[in-house]
Amino acid sequence: MSSPQRPVAPHSYGSQRPPAAVPIGPVGAIGVDEMQLTDEEVARRMSWLEITADDIANLTSIRDVARGYAAEVIEDLYRHFLAFDETRAFFRDEQTLRRVKAMQTEYFLRLTEGNYDREYVRDRLKIGAIHQRIGLDVKWYLGAYNFYLRAVGSRLMRAFQDDPERGRACYFSLKKLVFFDIGLAIEIYLTTIRRQEEAIRELSTPVLQLRAGLLILPIIGVIDPTRARQLTEQLLRSIRANRAKVVVMDITGVPSVDSRVANHLVQTVEAARLMGATVIITGLSAEVAQALVLVGIDLNRIRTVGDLQGGIEEAERSLGYRVSRVEA
Amino acid sequence: MQVPILKQGPVLIATVQDALTDADLHRLRDDLLQRVGTHRSLGVVLDVTALDVLDSFAARMLRTISHAVRMRGATTVIVGIQPGVAFAMVQLGLRLDGVDTALDLEDGLNMLARTIRSADPTSTTNLAGLAGLAELEWIDR
Amino acid sequence: MSEISTEPLVMPIANEADIVAARQRGRTMAIELGFAGCDGTLIATAISEVARNILLYAQRGEIILCCVELGGRRGLSIEARDSGPGIPDLRKALTDGYSTSRGLGLGLPGSRRLMDEFAIESEVGRGTNVTMTKWVR
Repeated sequence: MSSPQRPVAPHSYGSQRPPAAVPIGPVGAIGVDEMQLTDEEVARRMSWLEITADDIANLTSIRDVARGYAAEVIEDLYRHFLAFDETRAFFRDEQTLRRVKAMQTEYFLRLTEGNYDREYVRDRLKIGAIHQRIGLDVKWYLGAYNFYLRAVGSRLMRAFQDDPERGRACYFSLKKLVFFDIGLAIEIYLTTIRRQEEAIRELSTPVLQLRAGLLILPIIGVIDPTRARQLTEQLLRSIRANRAKVVVMDITGVPSVDSRVANHLVQTVEAARLMGATVIITGLSAEVAQALVLVGIDLNRIRTVGDLQGGIEEAERSLGYRVSRVEA
Repeated sequence: MQVPILKQGPVLIATVQDALTDADLHRLRDDLLQRVGTHRSLGVVLDVTALDVLDSFAARMLRTISHAVRMRGATTVIVGIQPGVAFAMVQLGLRLDGVDTALDLEDGLNMLARTIRSADPTSTTNLAGLAGLAELEWIDR
Repeated sequence: MSEISTEPLVMPIANEADIVAARQRGRTMAIELGFAGCDGTLIATAISEVARNILLYAQRGEIILCCVELGGRRGLSIEARDSGPGIPDLRKALTDGYSTSRGLGLGLPGSRRLMDEFAIESEVGRGTNVTMTKWVR
């Protein structure tokens, strides 16, 4: 098996959990430490971008040149930012502007400092996380990189007027490193989005206790394998925590119930039964039920009742409750 | 690791304390069947709360126990299957068909008492002797 | 908190007690790696199944537990290998309910469902090698 998995490098994480992340944001923001890459992973990305020792030598060789034009490039970049409403909104006052310019300069000079190691990656991830957190869309973020490359490119060419070959080589090295940075930035954006989706998902399926021993689980939205898993785990935990005997699972809000979803439902029902609880499924239309039988889903394994009200009534009956209206 | 079996009135309570090897499970089966005969028990509660894994062999053994006990005239209830264990079992394809399950010992005893009673409403067996049953509310259907 | 072992951990399987030891070790490693929810149990159950297969068909073999990392994701990889009789028909062996021994025939297909990745190599007369991985979510 030519699996690309490799044993973990020893320094990748020392103890059970990485130390608490530097507080970089509110709920939903991702800790940079959580995403910390191993040296091996860093090396692999570098080789994917064909970053060699020559490139690193090129980059460090233009350190002084870069120092020469850094201030200019940063000024240009912020002029560009301020020219667009969407990006101007982020720099409301002089003070903020001064602060971010200083940070930007630091970022900029770091590109030609060498030592593109884990610390470097950490730094880059942190910058990406900050931009994600303030809500700067990825399109503006990437656009700024383009601006950078263009602004630096022309200046490099000018600096190496006498040796254009050399200028181009340095420019290509810089471009590789910028792409390395872009990769990290996009990754932290995506990871954060994924985290937020997970959080929303978990919130979106409440398990409610209606009476002692009776839980209601209204499912709304698409059930994919990940969600099916979460639902089942959540339900099983709730059964134990609430000592539930009957669960009414309402799938009226699930847009499509195919055989895969049905199989998930059957599994959930079976697992609940192993814990001693009965699941009643409501909201399964007659057409869908027929279709499921046709594809071979054994609906005998699950108890279904037309609608949520009927399901709750049946659940109450099986728990020994009798609900009656008090005459006025 | 031997599983202790407690006699409580007409019911036997077997409580698994730790991970079981296949040999332990064989012995549990043999012990239970023998005691059901000796004490003429009407029910068995098998508490597996302490088990953190129920693989295909263990699940099959639980089913065997349940079916064999039934052939000796008693009912088995498996109690205490943990959420993760239940999840793993269904992923594995294990269903424990025809085996009664309950959340915990209390629910299991309650269930047994109901079964025993409905099987023989005139029975003079003292079901109140079951641990904890006295305080439990009976749900008659 | 203990350091996470980065060396593959080899656990010999030669009797029933070894099955229990292997799955318990697997669960501990899973928790150390940051697996949450039911995952530790799913992993332990899968280990139990493949270890059981070793005992059932090859009498002895080993389970190798190893932390892996790919693209920033961590996982636990489990390898079960033996020099037993091998499996003549892999496709059948991966079908629910198929068993040539006293097993339930759920071992291999079931373990595949419990894990994220699953691969099997087998040669009649030479032995069987099952590799499976689960990733921290």
